[in-house]
Amino acid sequence: MKKLLLIFSACFLYNAVIHGQLLSKESGQNKFAIYGNAEAVYVSNKEQKSFTDINFKPIFLWKISDKLFVEAETEIETGDGVVNFGLEYANMNYIVNQYLILHAGRFLPKFGAYRGRFAEGFLNRFASNPAGFGDGGIGASVETGFGALGSLPFGDVKVLYDVYVVNGPHLLTDSANQGQFDYEAYTSNNNDQAYGGRLAILPLSNSSLEVGFSLQHKAKTGDLGTIDEKVSLDMQAVDLNYYTSIQPIKSTLRIIGEFRHQKVGNNAVYTKPDGTDFSFTNSPSCYYAMGSLRPSLLENKFLRNIEVAVRSSYFKRPVNAPWGGSNIRSTEIALDYWLNWNSLLKISYQNRSDALNTVYAQVVFGF
Amino acid sequence: MKRSLFAILLIIFTCSTFISINGCFVSKTAASKSGAQLWAENCNRCHNAPPPGEFSNANWDIVGTHMQIRANISKTDMTKITDFLKSANR
Repeated sequence: MKKLLLIFSACFLYNAVIHGQLLSKESGQNKFAIYGNAEAVYVSNKEQKSFTDINFKPIFLWKISDKLFVEAETEIETGDGVVNFGLEYANMNYIVNQYLILHAGRFLPKFGAYRGRFAEGFLNRFASNPAGFGDGGIGASVETGFGALGSLPFGDVKVLYDVYVVNGPHLLTDSANQGQFDYEAYTSNNNDQAYGGRLAILPLSNSSLEVGFSLQHKAKTGDLGTIDEKVSLDMQAVDLNYYTSIQPIKSTLRIIGEFRHQKVGNNAVYTKPDGTDFSFTNSPSCYYAMGSLRPSLLENKFLRNIEVAVRSSYFKRPVNAPWGGSNIRSTEIALDYWLNWNSLLKISYQNRSDALNTVYAQVVFGF
Repeated sequence: MKRSLFAILLIIFTCSTFISINGCFVSKTAASKSGAQLWAENCNRCHNAPPPGEFSNANWDIVGTHMQIRANISKTDMTKITDFLKSANR
């Protein structure tokens, strides 16, 4: 890995020198801005009526030069009943050329499209996550490492790519979470790292359809020196995003979906509270599909800011896992009202197999 | 694993350098798209397009670079988009 980093750094520096712009910043070029979201959620069901998550998530952006860019997001959240302050991401980017950007730090995941993109408050039409795509689901909400990304044109078609090396998931072995993963650790738990990537194709010339394929592999996910150190994890995802205007009903239709699967190595061994060892087949999968309709082409300002959305999701969990046993199916409908291009009110109703039927209301202000 | 990873990175690095030196394979239709068209297509891919006039010229440069990274948009396309958005501030 050291050799790899050395060679990669050499390529990085070579390109910087070739373009002669690493140190060519003129005075006054360092530009800084803050944007972000503020969110508040209200939950109502038979057992709870409460304002829950109040989130404030400023994003700090520095354009140091035409080549160098830093982006960082902090999160101040109250979802656990106390104020939590966290670093969502801190990512340093070097724009090598038209088609290649190198980046390092803590960054939004490039596995699938939901958690790194469509989970954002003003992109998600619902106040909750699909089954299997939130906490306890498959995949990270943030990664730590380095990577490369870009867009390659082929005629009218675009191909978007992301490749990365990250600390990757840690296998959990405590009795309640045996076989699950901590995907977002700040440091690695052994001498291995995960690598992966996403390749997305935009086959239509107006970029309205995007189909993405993601892979991630880590050969060793257990803690160093433990029996589970060499338990591997392979993850795959397919995502789809499509939008179009339907002139006869003066509306915009959006369809989004994603399927995720992961396979944990068969050599995982866990210990029950009574001291006996056991194992189980651990290959969960999940999917969601969402459709929304907004009469955005109407002249009536009130009506064109209304959007209705429907979502269905399914989380297939390992039968014999301490946290598994039953699969989760969830269906939601939402009525949203757009206050601005990045601010909206959401009211949604959720019917979920492992929880009470719940009404959510959420306010999201982008700033 | 490390060899395959290195191979992937090397291929991407080589391809992107080759394309940047020799010009890319963009159709005439794609190359002739205006900033307004690219703004509508690329922004609406994920979210409502922010209106021209939303930010100052300096901030459009910052937001544009942020979105170039977040949404894998090429530098050429993003420059056209930000030029279009800045034009509303004149």
